[in-house]
Amino acid sequence: MGGVKGLRTDSVEGRPTEDAALVERSKNGDQDAYGELVTRYQAIAARTAYVITGTAADAEDVAQDAFVKAYYALDRFRSGAPFRPWLLRIVANEAINRRKAAGRRPTVGLSVVEDRASGDTALSPEASALAQERREVVLDALRKMREEDRLVIAYRYFFDLSEVEMAEALGVARGTVKSRLSRAIARLRAAMEGDQLHDA
Amino acid sequence: MTRERMTEQELDATLADLGERLAYPRPTRLADAVSARLREPRAGRWWDAVRSPRYAFAPLVATLAVFALVIVLAVPGARAAASDFLHAWGIDIFRVPAIATPAVSPSPRSGLGALTTLADARARAGFPVRVPSDPRLGTPDEVYREGPDAGARQRISLVYGQRAGIPISHEPGVSVLVVEFRGTVDENLTGGKGVGPDTRIESLSVNGGRGLWLEGAPHLFFYRDPSGIIQTETLRLAGNTLIWEQDGVTFRLEAQVSREDALRIAASFR
Repeated sequence: MGGVKGLRTDSVEGRPTEDAALVERSKNGDQDAYGELVTRYQAIAARTAYVITGTAADAEDVAQDAFVKAYYALDRFRSGAPFRPWLLRIVANEAINRRKAAGRRPTVGLSVVEDRASGDTALSPEASALAQERREVVLDALRKMREEDRLVIAYRYFFDLSEVEMAEALGVARGTVKSRLSRAIARLRAAMEGDQLHDA
Repeated sequence: MTRERMTEQELDATLADLGERLAYPRPTRLADAVSARLREPRAGRWWDAVRSPRYAFAPLVATLAVFALVIVLAVPGARAAASDFLHAWGIDIFRVPAIATPAVSPSPRSGLGALTTLADARARAGFPVRVPSDPRLGTPDEVYREGPDAGARQRISLVYGQRAGIPISHEPGVSVLVVEFRGTVDENLTGGKGVGPDTRIESLSVNGGRGLWLEGAPHLFFYRDPSGIIQTETLRLAGNTLIWEQDGVTFRLEAQVSREDALRIAASFR
């Protein structure tokens, strides 16, 4: 299947044992323990929300709402299950619902931090310009994709989730992660090529 | 634009590269914000908050809340009748936004009356309905009218969905709510009585008339109707609120905007 090489099949990221202890304490009403989980996962929660909402302010709101909802949903959380993908599922649902409820335009306003000191310094000016051009084409295509497809791509390429985590975070069987991902990549390519045809 | 089709490796590398460069938010104190929300009474209908034994009211305010509720329940229609004099008699905080299961969350639209059109509202309100001309708001997405037909006690509500530059409220899909009814603001009783620790209340002048600015957590407010009965009114959105009087009509603007922004929007009412 194209575009899905390198999908990590090892187990779960994060610190599952410590998470489990923190979750148990949180279930018993220990808000400090929950605060520790929030601190631990606030970055990836906000990033996940951002990939869907496309604005940083919305993403922070979504992350906050999702953590509050997750706290009240902890009694439905299966003890011993990994916390991070479970949380991401709540974050993604919250972000998608909010975006749909707000009736946003189909194109999302994702943006990049440019002029970032990076590996590009090792590239020739031509190669660097080409890399930037490619990023723009891909970003533009991503902006037009369905939230769900963008999310799959982000989990794999931006956040490097393992296959197990992706299945959990997407709420699908492990066996369907690869096909979801390759479909999303195919749509990404179609969106990129559509653009180029349009421009040509 | 890149004309040639990227190879798989090129696309992988570009995606990975892009993933590192997105302008992600960088929350640093989310735990504090979440913890503050978890300390508040569990979201639900505001009367659950009134009943909640976990919620420690100042005894005076608690008594008034129950008293006012009983009166409102016992005298149907009293709320609509209460509009002649608006007193922000006392303020306390109830958490209204939908953080619990959405199925039980209060809709900002519930209790606003019947869905109608702006033209119908204007024809039947019995007072000149004004609408903000601020370009950020545009035309309202929904208009509601409450009160008997052709009666003098109509209440008109304008609901605005997502608007650029105005944060969405905790009620999904609503950023601004405007409520208008015939009545006047009286600031004699606003002297900070029963104001919760997280709500600021300020008297100010709006469009040349008297007004109040309520800032902070979502709240109920109490006011006294012409017969001296204490009434409660729930602020619908978890936003800041500007209340003012203009030509005998009381306007209420709820939105998560700054005081200056609220005043700017108020000034644009036509």
